Amino acid sequence: MGFYFVDTELYHRHKEAVLAMSQAIQINYPEHLPPEKRQPGFSDRQIAEKLGLEERVVREIRCVAEREFYPVDEWERALEFKDRACKGFAENGVAFSTKKYIDRAKAAKASIKG
Amino acid sequence: MHARLPDRPGRKKAQVSASAELELMQAHRRELDEVARKSGALVTGVADANAFTAAMEGQRPTDLLPDCKTVFVLGGAQPRAGDWKSPSYRHMETTSTSDRVTAMGNRVAQHIERKCGYYAVTIPPGVDRARRPFLNIALAAELAGCGSPSLAGPVLHPEHGFMYYTAVLTTLPLPVDGPLAEPVCPAPECVSMWNEAGTTPCMATCPIDEGGCLGGRIEDGRLKERRYDVARCTTRVHTTFIPGFQKALEAVFDEPEKEKRKMILYSTQFTRTLWSMSYSNVSQGQCFECMRVCPVGSKQRSLR
Repeated sequence: MGFYFVDTELYHRHKEAVLAMSQAIQINYPEHLPPEKRQPGFSDRQIAEKLGLEERVVREIRCVAEREFYPVDEWERALEFKDRACKGFAENGVAFSTKKYIDRAKAAKASIKG
Repeated sequence: MHARLPDRPGRKKAQVSASAELELMQAHRRELDEVARKSGALVTGVADANAFTAAMEGQRPTDLLPDCKTVFVLGGAQPRAGDWKSPSYRHMETTSTSDRVTAMGNRVAQHIERKCGYYAVTIPPGVDRARRPFLNIALAAELAGCGSPSLAGPVLHPEHGFMYYTAVLTTLPLPVDGPLAEPVCPAPECVSMWNEAGTTPCMATCPIDEGGCLGGRIEDGRLKERRYDVARCTTRVHTTFIPGFQKALEAVFDEPEKEKRKMILYSTQFTRTLWSMSYSNVSQGQCFECMRVCPVGSKQRSLR
C-alpha cells in the first residue's frame, strides 16, 4: 500500500467482501430487533484478520468502496428528489407522497369487489 | 484519578453505604438533568456503558473511555416547526446541524469533571479517520430510553419525534434508564396506513423499490423488517458535503477539456458544496424528507 492509497488490484479483489463484512452498503438493517439480538458488522481489524490483510488496507478499501458505490448521477438525483419532496409537502402535506399508494389500494379493492 | 482533577465526593464512594450511594447517584442525575435543561436539552437519559453489544467494535463507550460506567445522553436542537413547513429544502440543510446539541453535551461533561470529580468525554459529532462515528450515538439514545429506532433510521422520541442527540461518556456511576418498553415506530397512523395501503409516510416518500432508500414490513403493529439503502441515503444526506465534494472532484479530474472543468468548478453545485464544507466541524444532515412526513412529534410541529 502506498502512502495515500491502496493498490487498485488489491482494491478490486477485496472490495465486495469488505463491504459485505462491514455492513457498509447493507440493505437489511436489524434495528427493529432488541439491541441484544442485533449483530453488528465487523470492524476493519476483524475483517483484516479474516482476509489476511493489514487493517489500514481494509480501512482504505472500505472507505473508497463506500464512496464509489453510486455514480455522480445519483447525487444529481438527490437534488431533484429533495426539491420535489419538500415542495410537494409544503403544498399538499403528507398526501403528496401517500396519495398514489392509497388510491392504488382503493382501486385494487374496488376491482376485487367488481 | 488524574492528578489535575480535584478530590471530590465521587472518589469516596467506597466509603458510603449502598443506599447512600444510590442517593448520591440520584443526586448527581438531578444535577446533570438541570445542567442539561438549562443548556437547552429537551430530553436526557442514561445508558449502561456495558450494554452496547449491538455496536461495532471500536464504537463502544469503553473503546473511548476504558473505565466508562455510564453514558449520559442529551437530545434536542430540533428544527423549528416553521423549518419543516418551508418549501425550500436548502433552508434546513444549512440550519440543522449537530453543533448545538454537542455544545450542550460539553457543558454536562464540564460539570461532571469540575463538580463531581469524575472523567467525562463528549462524543465529537464527526467521524474518525476510518469514516466511522466515534460512538453509535443512535444506539446510546436508544439504550438511554430517549427514544427508539425508526424504520427511517433516526431515533424518535415518543412525544417530540426527531431530534439531535449527543452522548457524554463518564466514569460517574448514575442510575440507568434503559431502553423504552414500547417502540415509538411504527406510530398508530402508520400502522393504519400500512393496513390500508401497504406503505407508511416515510416509505412512500423515499421508496427503496422506486429509487429511494426505505422499505420494510409491519406485522401485528410492529416492524418486522427494515430495508435501508445507506449508500443512496448518503447521496441525499451529504449531497453538498464532503462526500459530494469528492464526487465533484472526481468528475473534474475525469474531464479532459479545460473549459468543461471550469464549468464544473464554478458551478452552483460545486460552490454550494464548498459553502457546506465550511461547516465541516459539525455533522450536517441535508435530507429531512422521511422525517418531514413522520407523524411522531407532528403535534409539536403544528402551529398557527
